[in-house]
Order: sequence, then C-alpha cells, then structure tokens
Amino acid sequence: MNKYLSIIFLVLLSVIFITIQTTLLSPGNLGYFSPDLNLILIVFLAIFSEIRGGFFLALGNGYLMDVLSGNLPGTFMISRLSTYLLVRSGSNHVYLRKALVQGLVIFVATIFTWIFVLTIITIKKDSSFDITAKSILIQGIVNAVVGIPIFWMIQKVNARFQK
Amino acid sequence: MKFLKNRAVLITIVLFFVSLQLFSLNIREKRSQNFISGIVLTLTYYPQKLVYIVSDKVLNTWQDYMDLVDVRQENIRLKKEVLSLRQDKFELAEQRVQNYRLKKLLDFKESPSYPIVSANVIGGSPSLLRTEVVIVDRGTRDGVSQGMPVASSEGIVGRVLTVGDRSSEVLLITDPVSAVDAFIHRTRVRGIVKGTGSGCTMEYIEQNSDVSIGDKVISSGKEGFFPKGVIIGTVSNLETKGSFISAQVSPFVDLDSLEEVVIILKTNNNIVLNE
Repeated sequence: MNKYLSIIFLVLLSVIFITIQTTLLSPGNLGYFSPDLNLILIVFLAIFSEIRGGFFLALGNGYLMDVLSGNLPGTFMISRLSTYLLVRSGSNHVYLRKALVQGLVIFVATIFTWIFVLTIITIKKDSSFDITAKSILIQGIVNAVVGIPIFWMIQKVNARFQK
Repeated sequence: MKFLKNRAVLITIVLFFVSLQLFSLNIREKRSQNFISGIVLTLTYYPQKLVYIVSDKVLNTWQDYMDLVDVRQENIRLKKEVLSLRQDKFELAEQRVQNYRLKKLLDFKESPSYPIVSANVIGGSPSLLRTEVVIVDRGTRDGVSQGMPVASSEGIVGRVLTVGDRSSEVLLITDPVSAVDAFIHRTRVRGIVKGTGSGCTMEYIEQNSDVSIGDKVISSGKEGFFPKGVIIGTVSNLETKGSFISAQVSPFVDLDSLEEVVIILKTNNNIVLNE
C-alpha cells in the first residue's frame, strides 16, 4: 500500500513541479536563473527512490518537458531518461548522504543533459535553438542550490510512504 | 530494471542514437500533433489555471493598492484624454463614412473577417532551450485548432502549436522557426519576417526597395496563416546581405509580458489569398 502511495506522491509532485516551472518559475520570466525542477525530481528519483516505476516516471517527466516547451517529442524525454539511468547506476559508487555531494550530482546531471541535447542539435546543424555555455553553467549552479533543500523536503515526505 | 542499471552507459549511447533519429524525423513539423500531447496539455491546464488565478488575485490586490497613491493626478490626466479621444472619435466616424463611400466607388473587395476568441496567458515554456512558447487557457472546446493565428490589441503574437481540450501552446513570432509573409506598410515592399529569439528580422527584401528605419511592417496574408494587414512591428535597423536587405523588426507587442491575447479562428480550410 505504502509503495502505491509513494508512486502517487511522486506523480503528483511531477505535476506540481512542472506547473511551477511553467508559471511562477518559467525561464521566460527568470531567464538563466530559472531552476529546472523537473530535472531535480528526476535526479531525486535516480538517487533515492526505491520504487520500480522510477524509470517510467523519469520518462513521463521528460515527455512533459517536451510537450510543454514546444520541442520535438524525444528531445527531453530521452536526454532525461539517460540522465536518470546514469545517475542511478553511479549512485551505488558515491556517498550521497551529504548535501554538498547531492548538489554536485545535480550540477553534473544538468550539464550532462544539456551536453546530450546540444550534441544532437550540433550534429543536426539546427540553428533554431539559442543557448549558451554560460546559461547552462548558471542553470547548473541554480539547480544545485535549489535542489538541495528540495531533496531534503521530498526525502522527509517520501520516507513516510516508504516506511 | 537491474539490466538497465548495469548497462547504463551502453543504453545511454543507444538512446543518443534514437534521439538523433527522432530529431531527423522532425516529427512535429511533418505530422499533426499527437493525441498524448493534447492530453498532457489538458491535464496540466487545471493546476496552471489555479496558479494563474491565485497569482492574478495577489497581483491585482497589490496593484489596486499602488494605484490609489496616484489616483488624483491620474483622474485629471484621464479627463483630458477623454476629451481628446471624443474629438478623435468624431473624426474617425467621419472618415469611416468617407472610406465606405470611396470603397463603394472603387468596387473594393473587403478582406474577410474571422471570429476571434480571447484567451489569458497562463504559462510559459519550462525549458531554456525554447522560451518563445506560451500556454493559453483556450483549447479545442473553444474552437481552437493547430496553426491558428494569435494576436493582441497591438499586433501579431504567434500561432497555435499544440492544442489540448482546454488549453493550447502558442509559438511566438520571435521563435527562430516562426516565419510570416509581410510587407512594409508605407511602400508595400514584401519580405519574410523571421524570429531570432530575442526579436525579428524581415528578410529577402530586394536591394533597391524603399525601406527605412521607422517603417511599419504588416502581415501580407499570403502564407495562409495570418490575416492580411495585422501589424507586426517597426523597422529598427537595416543591413545589406548579398543581394537582399535584412531589416531588424521590433515587434509592437511586448512578448515578454503577455497577459491577454486573441486567437483568430481561421483554419486552413478558410484561407483566402488576398491579392
């Protein structure tokens, strides 16, 4: 029963995060300083969530990003799924209880996701996207700073369901 | 799941090539929107609308309070403006009658007018990759469909990209994939207005054309999406590129602070080439 509650909680959180990201914290309003809550949640799922549906939640969250940002279906879905898999596989080898390490993982995950997307854009020579290294680095730092307290809060709530 | 976890790097490489293929297919451009995208838009509509209502109430309350501070001075200014507008109204009524009479004399064919539906902007793109997308609170149940032009009282805003039951995504004219067939209002010189991310440029203007800074740019209605004669912006800079002139266009509409728009219910079926 608790496992299902945990899944429902994480699905609801996905909807809440994407809503905040498209309204109050939209990059259209905050520019580089807009935190990517969707990615932070995916990294959380990869590190801490013990539910089996984490893979599908990451996939769904990526799809939400694709649809709501008017991008090609797959751009975010696949890049975020890859980030989820790599962080999940790497989480066994790193001590992730420290906030600083968690922040570092979020930062690296942000950079990896952008490198993934930008490599495809560069190979395909699509000039319709305008994003700079500076904005990626700033978003990585913002995500790390915002992600640490979010991790702490989600862990607190999620732990109640997983007991 | 253990299989996925143990071979994450390999799977990531495979996913990279899958993503590359999806990008090549350019699905969004070639196929009409998929069913799931519509569902996602509908599902996210309710929380987005809730945030919009709450934030709008808070902002309005604050604005009401701030407005009270300067209300006396504003009242005087508005009274003067009303007087001036009454004069303008009278002159316009005169001109309208004259215009009607002259059009009749010339046997002028009226441009078709389309029904419109007003919409509130309830959200924006969640990604830094493409920020020139907004979400509005009108969807298929209001008669909105993909490709419909979107404008505000000041001019062209963009066109509908994806439609849900109650909400839609609008691609702004400043997006690099956006293109509008347009002409210079003063001289009728034609070109294509393309988005550059932060603004627009009017390209493919022939080199000996009469274009100058400050000229107004309006839609020609020829590409089939936008009705003829809707204002886009003003020429703010000119540059020669090969055998063409490229004009930088500052959109009339402040796209960074869009709140209300109108969707022109003009589908591909009732496209009329105006000229």
